[in-house]
Amino acid sequence: MKPSSPNQPDFSFRHADTLSKAVGAERYSTDFTPPGCLWAGAKRAGVPHARITAVHVGEALAVDGVKTVLTGADVPGSNLQGIVHKDQPVLAVDTVRHAGDAVALVLAESREALAEALSRIRLEYEPLPGVFEPELALAAEAPLVHPGREGGNLLARGLVDKGDARAAMRGCDVVVEGEFETPMQEHVFLEPPNGTARLTATNGLETVVSTQAPFRDRFEIAHALGLDPMRIRVRAPYLGGGFGGKDGATVQCLLALAALHAGGRWVKMVWSREETFLAGYKRHAARVRIRLGASSSGALQALDSVMYFDSGPYAHLGVEIMALGLEHAGGPYMIPHTRAEGFCVYTNNPVGGAFRGFGVVQASFALERSLDALAARLGMDPAELRLMNALRTGEANCAGVAMESPTGVRECLEAVMAHPVWAGRHTWKEAAPPFKRRGVGIAASCNAMGYGRGLPDAAAAKLELTRTGTFRIFNSVADMGQGNAAAFVQLAASALNQDSSLFEVVQPDTRLCPPAGSSSASRTTYTFGNALLRACEAMREKLKARAALALLVDEPSRLRLAPGVVADEATGRSIPLALLGNMLQRDDRICVDQYVMPVVENPPDTGKAFRLGFPHRFFSHGACVCALEADELTGQVELVECVTAVECGRVLSARGVEQQVHGAAAQGAGLVLMENLAHQDGRILAGDLSTYLIPTSRDLPDLEWLAVDGDEPTGPHGVKGMGEVGIHGPAPAVAQALEDAVGLSINRIPVDPMDVLRALRSNKA
Amino acid sequence: MSRNARCPGSLDELWPLLEEGVTIMAGGTDLLVRRRGQVPAPVACLERIESLRGVRVHEGFISLGACETHASLLRHALVRERLPVLAGALQVLGSPLIRNMGTIGGNIVSASPAGDTLAPLYALDAQLELVSKWGARRVPLAGFIHGPGRTGLKPGEVLAAVLVPPPEPSALQHFEKVGRRKALAIAVVSLAAVILTDGEGVVLDARLALGSVGPTVARCPKAEALLAGRRLDREALLAVGEAMRSEIAPIDDLRASAAYRREVAGNLLLRLAS
Repeated sequence: MKPSSPNQPDFSFRHADTLSKAVGAERYSTDFTPPGCLWAGAKRAGVPHARITAVHVGEALAVDGVKTVLTGADVPGSNLQGIVHKDQPVLAVDTVRHAGDAVALVLAESREALAEALSRIRLEYEPLPGVFEPELALAAEAPLVHPGREGGNLLARGLVDKGDARAAMRGCDVVVEGEFETPMQEHVFLEPPNGTARLTATNGLETVVSTQAPFRDRFEIAHALGLDPMRIRVRAPYLGGGFGGKDGATVQCLLALAALHAGGRWVKMVWSREETFLAGYKRHAARVRIRLGASSSGALQALDSVMYFDSGPYAHLGVEIMALGLEHAGGPYMIPHTRAEGFCVYTNNPVGGAFRGFGVVQASFALERSLDALAARLGMDPAELRLMNALRTGEANCAGVAMESPTGVRECLEAVMAHPVWAGRHTWKEAAPPFKRRGVGIAASCNAMGYGRGLPDAAAAKLELTRTGTFRIFNSVADMGQGNAAAFVQLAASALNQDSSLFEVVQPDTRLCPPAGSSSASRTTYTFGNALLRACEAMREKLKARAALALLVDEPSRLRLAPGVVADEATGRSIPLALLGNMLQRDDRICVDQYVMPVVENPPDTGKAFRLGFPHRFFSHGACVCALEADELTGQVELVECVTAVECGRVLSARGVEQQVHGAAAQGAGLVLMENLAHQDGRILAGDLSTYLIPTSRDLPDLEWLAVDGDEPTGPHGVKGMGEVGIHGPAPAVAQALEDAVGLSINRIPVDPMDVLRALRSNKA
Repeated sequence: MSRNARCPGSLDELWPLLEEGVTIMAGGTDLLVRRRGQVPAPVACLERIESLRGVRVHEGFISLGACETHASLLRHALVRERLPVLAGALQVLGSPLIRNMGTIGGNIVSASPAGDTLAPLYALDAQLELVSKWGARRVPLAGFIHGPGRTGLKPGEVLAAVLVPPPEPSALQHFEKVGRRKALAIAVVSLAAVILTDGEGVVLDARLALGSVGPTVARCPKAEALLAGRRLDREALLAVGEAMRSEIAPIDDLRASAAYRREVAGNLLLRLAS
């Protein structure tokens, strides 16, 4: 492997799946349509909160080609889905708690019959008052989403603190305070949630599904339906995007339920885009109130924040997402006294779930905006304020965890500050064309890697030498487009000194691959990569030992792997891998090894509500500069430049990192500029792609990436995960740039052009 | 070819299909979206009918065949050079894919107040050539569109061509679309202006049309009259903009509020301030 340097990232490595995807040869889950399969589809509630008084399925059953219609009464097992907290019915039994709840499940011979039958199911309700706002949901008289539940609508409260924030606040020279809101966000993966399932001849369940967590899915399905998880096989081909939205059951339990009634036939389920908007998980909407205090020199002293997360009616990963939000309340900054309190609240809104940036997006926007306010109060440059408070290696973050892993936030800030977009901003702003106001903003961020303490972040890797002398990597962590499968090939090819063309990747299959955690939490390349490198090490030693037999060498350690062969440099002799592969029996051609991500060894005495996944030991870092033009006549905001620096240990694949930064920055830009579900009383008004707008290529500038050199000693080739950190920059950087351009201080996103016009008008007055 | 998609090669082949009640499809970028999820019903695709195609100068008009796609019109020199206000709208209509399929005739008959070609065609005083098996008639575009999705197209009739009287070569032609993003976005407000000035910069004739601010595209006669005789300076354009705000009836929807539309509708002309 060639070393990469910050100025000359190595772009030479090509992803093995680039060609197959480009020519349409790659088979996604949605491409798997066995001949003669049945089609399954869910009847959705359509109302946010109601008691079900009747489900009339007679007319649907009468539709030609309809095999069966199932309701909540037909669900065996607990009828509860959920990753940590099990509270989401597969099919609603007596109550619907959000408009996307599934109330009935139809199996039909064709998609046409399925659609017809779904339209003929009649639901009778007794409407219930709903709660749509987390703080109102906590009021004593608020309607209950889960009546009888201890704690009412409060799913969880958490506290992460260090020192004495409230006392320290009183001693601060300057204190700013504010309230900030970040909205629900739709993932908008290209491939909708979908899958296929059947009962096997031996009463096992086999599924092919677009999922980020094939191994965990078995347990979620089994718990919900009362099945044996070890008799469930899940295959996860490449995903056409996930971003967190396929971390947890989408189609899985519904499909499995359908398969139980399909008599061994394959059943396929594909959500439409509209159904995905209605029923899929969303980034949690959050409200954050912050007080941030500093000395007159700008040194941060105290942070006191309260966060409310709108979980919708089910927990999904809401508590874990809130935990990460609280853990990132202080961002990548050194703040001696911190207090972050969080409330995760049930409502009748769409279900909150995992989304790239997992709680950190919400916390980060509020903190960065508060830093802007502080910089303004102190008359300081916002970049300098961030730089002087940047967390250094060894210092404790807001959860009281000392940063053992090298922190690169300072380097990221310095990289973007040296970039012409920031360094030359004054000249650029002065050159604004008629009717345009220009502004430039800067923000920094960090994002934890891995599950955190209490939830082992593990992966096992299996590597096979084939009989023909090539290698097969059994990938246990789904590739949702982030390129981990390609990264695994690169790691293994490098470790075994072989050409990458000799490697084939088997995508996750719970029957063929050893277990691993989900494709999430910026953990994939780190954890599975480490496991794979260990398996490669075992393979190398094995091949040397077996080659020594054939080469009559007494000390296998003197042998070396060279492309296609094991070579003995002392004699110049070598044995081809193909010969070795042919010589060994299959058990002997396979190496399996595993890795568990290290955790914080002496966790601070805080965050007690979070037994699983708190605190975190490793963080990637980022800084972002955005330059924009606001139009005086329309209030429209155009993102003109977006430069992101990321420190993620050593860069293994420059192309991979760059593409993650592109995708993350684009998603962050969408969040701040236009994405808006426009939900009202539990209903999404912008529930399709003609109304819920995400940026097109024309709405985005070149999303520039600056590599910042780092090294994580425990990482595979020094790598830290970085799939998420790039999403945090654009929202606060655009907000700051907007303030710079037109004097508009926004505390909620997305930007509304009307507010820009108002700000322009009041500035002129 | 599917039984449900007919492709007549001439108008004579089309007439019997219309009598059968077959729906006309001129690109389908709007029709097929509206029909999503419904049982397929027969359509008559117009793209193979040669007499509905072509861009030419005819009787003093620039004639645009109704089945010219947005992309083909954009490639045409007559449109680019003589009708830049229309070219400006075509450039930001939908996406490259929509522009390759959608037609100007389809855009007109869909009769959306946000149809991107409509504001320019209103400002250009375009007329429409409508044909049926009984003959042809010519009507002004402005009277043809009655409201969202409602037109004066009679049963058995098809839009054959758009006839545009070319503005003086010296006339200023200006188009701006305000959307919530730069492609694949429905206009929140659009402005088309065709303004003729004398050698001194005094306005001789102004034609102003606004899209997405009412049930149909709106011409602004009061504003036009106000602008005549004045120069395109900030003061005049502010006053004219205020007049334009009084001539429209915008609504609130997901994309923008009525207040925003009204404000912006009166601002856009300022872009021309000298």
